[in-house]
Amino acid sequence: MAKIEAPELTGKIITPKVKTGASKDLKVFLAKPELMTKVSFPSEKPADWKEKFIENFGVILNKYKSVRVFLDICVRCGACTDKCHFYLGTGDPRNMPVYRQELMRTVYRKYFTTGGKLFGSLGAAQEITDELLDEWMTYFYQCSECRRCSVFCPYGIDTAEITMAARELLDSIGMGSKYNLEIVNKAETLGNNLGMPGPAIRNTLDFVEEDIKEKSNVDVKLPMDVEGADILFVTPSADFFASPHIESLAGYAKVFHQAGASWTMSSYASEGGNFGMFIGNYNHMKAINARIWKAARELKVKRVIVGECGHAWRVLYAFSNSLNGPFDFLDSRYRVPQHICEYTLDLIKRGALKFDKTANDQFSVTYHDSCNVARATRMGETPGDQFTIPREIIRTVCNKFVDMDADTIGDRTFCCGGGGGTLTDELIDIRVKGAMPRMQALKRVKDSHNVNFFALICAICKAQFTKVFPYYGIDMEEVGGVHQLVSNAIILGAKEGI
Amino acid sequence: MNGLSSVINLLAYVAATIFVLGFLNKVVLYFKTPSPLKIATTPAPTNSVGVVLRLVPEVLFFRSLLRGGTAEKILWVGGWFFHVSFLLIILRHLRMFVYPVPGWIMSFQQIGIWAGLIFPIALLILIVRRFTNDRLAVISLFQDYFVLLLIIAIGLTGLLLKYFVRTNLVDVKSFILGLFSVSPAQVPASPLFLIHFSLVLILLVYFPFSKLMHAWGVLISPARAQADNPREVRNVAPWAQ
Amino acid sequence: MPNLEVEGKSYEVDEEGYLMDWQNWNEAIAAAMAKQDGLELSQSHWEVIKFLREYFEKYQIAPMIKILTKEIGKVLGPEKGNTKYLYELYPAGPAKQACRYAGLPKPTGCV
Ligand code: HEM
Ligand code: SF4
Ligand code: SF4
Ligand code: SF4
Repeated sequence: MAKIEAPELTGKIITPKVKTGASKDLKVFLAKPELMTKVSFPSEKPADWKEKFIENFGVILNKYKSVRVFLDICVRCGACTDKCHFYLGTGDPRNMPVYRQELMRTVYRKYFTTGGKLFGSLGAAQEITDELLDEWMTYFYQCSECRRCSVFCPYGIDTAEITMAARELLDSIGMGSKYNLEIVNKAETLGNNLGMPGPAIRNTLDFVEEDIKEKSNVDVKLPMDVEGADILFVTPSADFFASPHIESLAGYAKVFHQAGASWTMSSYASEGGNFGMFIGNYNHMKAINARIWKAARELKVKRVIVGECGHAWRVLYAFSNSLNGPFDFLDSRYRVPQHICEYTLDLIKRGALKFDKTANDQFSVTYHDSCNVARATRMGETPGDQFTIPREIIRTVCNKFVDMDADTIGDRTFCCGGGGGTLTDELIDIRVKGAMPRMQALKRVKDSHNVNFFALICAICKAQFTKVFPYYGIDMEEVGGVHQLVSNAIILGAKEGI
Repeated sequence: MNGLSSVINLLAYVAATIFVLGFLNKVVLYFKTPSPLKIATTPAPTNSVGVVLRLVPEVLFFRSLLRGGTAEKILWVGGWFFHVSFLLIILRHLRMFVYPVPGWIMSFQQIGIWAGLIFPIALLILIVRRFTNDRLAVISLFQDYFVLLLIIAIGLTGLLLKYFVRTNLVDVKSFILGLFSVSPAQVPASPLFLIHFSLVLILLVYFPFSKLMHAWGVLISPARAQADNPREVRNVAPWAQ
Repeated sequence: MPNLEVEGKSYEVDEEGYLMDWQNWNEAIAAAMAKQDGLELSQSHWEVIKFLREYFEKYQIAPMIKILTKEIGKVLGPEKGNTKYLYELYPAGPAKQACRYAGLPKPTGCV
């Protein structure tokens, strides 16, 4: 493998000149036939794949208004072209959102539009071929479904919708991504993306309990499978396995402990994330999501709270109700579901949590808006609370906080470069490059405010940045969760009423 | 009525029919295609009044475009002045479609003349940027140049008719009124007018089959026209039940 | 499917060189994989591998990294019970590189 060169950290995000084919060789591994079968897709490309492809395309057009309308109305104004971190990082024109869409639009014209049928290539309509499928397989897995392009498009055209539809189409003719489908399969059969059996999770929870006990001499419990608890807490399985994720797990537990809450996790629904979304497959997304609501019923909880994970929050906040609602068996006084940040800030506002901010004094903190939270969901009551709530928490537990440049946060935030099913080793090259805009913005606050803690609330972002920071010469331990900061500063012990 | 007049009158009806039915067909198709999931690009308003308030500045001022960088600022100037002058020109044309002409139409006459002059300049900006910016050069297709050239040709033939090759407006008006009242009349004896008019017919026919459907799409784009209330309101597509 | 040849025997591995069947593992495989990466396995490397396999046998998954560091601290001394030391041993990441040498499947997910 060629050595990966990270872009130089200058603090400036410069739009590159077009470099055709710059990232054409960065591809995901294909799923093997056995794996395809396990997740109910054709094991390989059938002889009549073209007919199948066109037929399935038609089905998608009839099912999703987004795909149909977006394919029709793009005026190729170019406003999105330099908004994608993967274009900014590589200069490959296929990573310009509109030109990524063009891979699908050209086929759409051929089979589904009057102009394409009448004028063919003059109308930029192309037949689907093996070569074109190969390009699909490459560039629709170089999109992190982050929706940044949608923000700047005069019609809100969201390339993530096109990417999801494209992956669904590819899967439907036997062409899948090993990484994504393995995870879908594990989530559906074992209950989480990592394939962690219940006893292994319990072992980790015990470890965290002991760790807290050793450090603070307080018995903070991390309960699992407790029937009759009030709260079912669902978090990405990475929180049971990876660093720095695990630090936030301790943070959630301490918050619940101080609140005196009756809570539990579930070994059956031990995953907040949902790769069914990344591959654009409604049924898989629904099946993975269904485990959570089944667990909620079986454990007879009153409410569901979700841990730090961008796309988990999207699926749970925005899609759950459609997929597996209604949730009238839960207590209607609480929003269903709730984000852990909503919960924690609410406790803070009611004075139920006490902090020693100086515990975080070695940190100068900035906050990365994870794109799924920023552009696909909300927290709290008011649009935009998804930006203010995590920041308010950070300000409550830290003395030093600074935001990155305004055009790189909020709904204009840059993706970490590893979202949407691209967080796999074979794509590390594009992940390093895709992180460039975010890294430049970070560099600026590092220079101006000595930032040394990069706080965020997304499991994928955490994994991606820990991996990518060293390429840019930054210590991977500078990445951490918001509840990691909470965990550091929270004062355990005597409760002062709630 | 001569043969040419019959043909032009017929073509006008055909074009208008294709435009109306084609447009309605797309509107119905978009309406019938469900949105199984809530996908508003957030922060988004939480109710339908909010959605309208979100869309108004998008339609009137291309608000999202304004959030971009320099390239989008140039585009905004070209695009906004193009659309507004296009609208004003149409309003100015209305005086030829009705009799008697109501006062409000008359009030657009002067500004409509200015719009006619700004129109080709704005379109020129839109064309030039397509081949001078390397990213746009890659994404631009034949049809992108085609509509721009078609519309600029309509504008320029219009200007010629107004300033250089004057036509008898009385003939034009009787022809147009004839069309609207379905009592076909003689076409004006001006080749330039016929070119101007034919180009408009081509635009009408082209419209529903092209990206020009963005005029409707901007109002119903799921990322913008949905309310952000998935926790409160359950949304299920019929196929997903 | 690619294969790894060790001492005249052939073992199935995936695209990234992870053993397909963790039960087929033996120490020679680990040594061979390390050699390909230009690494000489020391006693400390072997302690990591040993613990990973024991843990996997019990839980069907590799241990969380902090569990690993704690264990290594116990066995090799507290000054070595940290992530930095593990990365010194396994520059490509303890979770991934060490798992590969230990014949375990790569942990994939949001990690
Ligand atoms: C609700 C009404 C409309 C809105 C909000 C709207 C908005 C926009 C925007 C934001 C652009 C991109 C900027 C640009 O390229 O100029 C655009 C492009 C364009 N619009 Fe519209 N539009 C509307 C109606 C129309 C109509 C009725 C036409 C009919 C001729 C039209 C023709 C065009 C053309 C030709 C372009 C492409 C310009 C280019 O290629 O650079 N639009 N429109
Ligand atoms: S910004 Fe929207 S309309 Fe413009 S090129 Fe991109 S997707 Fe098309
Ligand atoms: S969704 Fe994100 S990654 Fe995909 S094209 Fe748009 S900006 Fe790029
Ligand atoms: S991983 Fe995080 S930043 Fe990247 S796509 Fe997901 S939510 Fe966005």
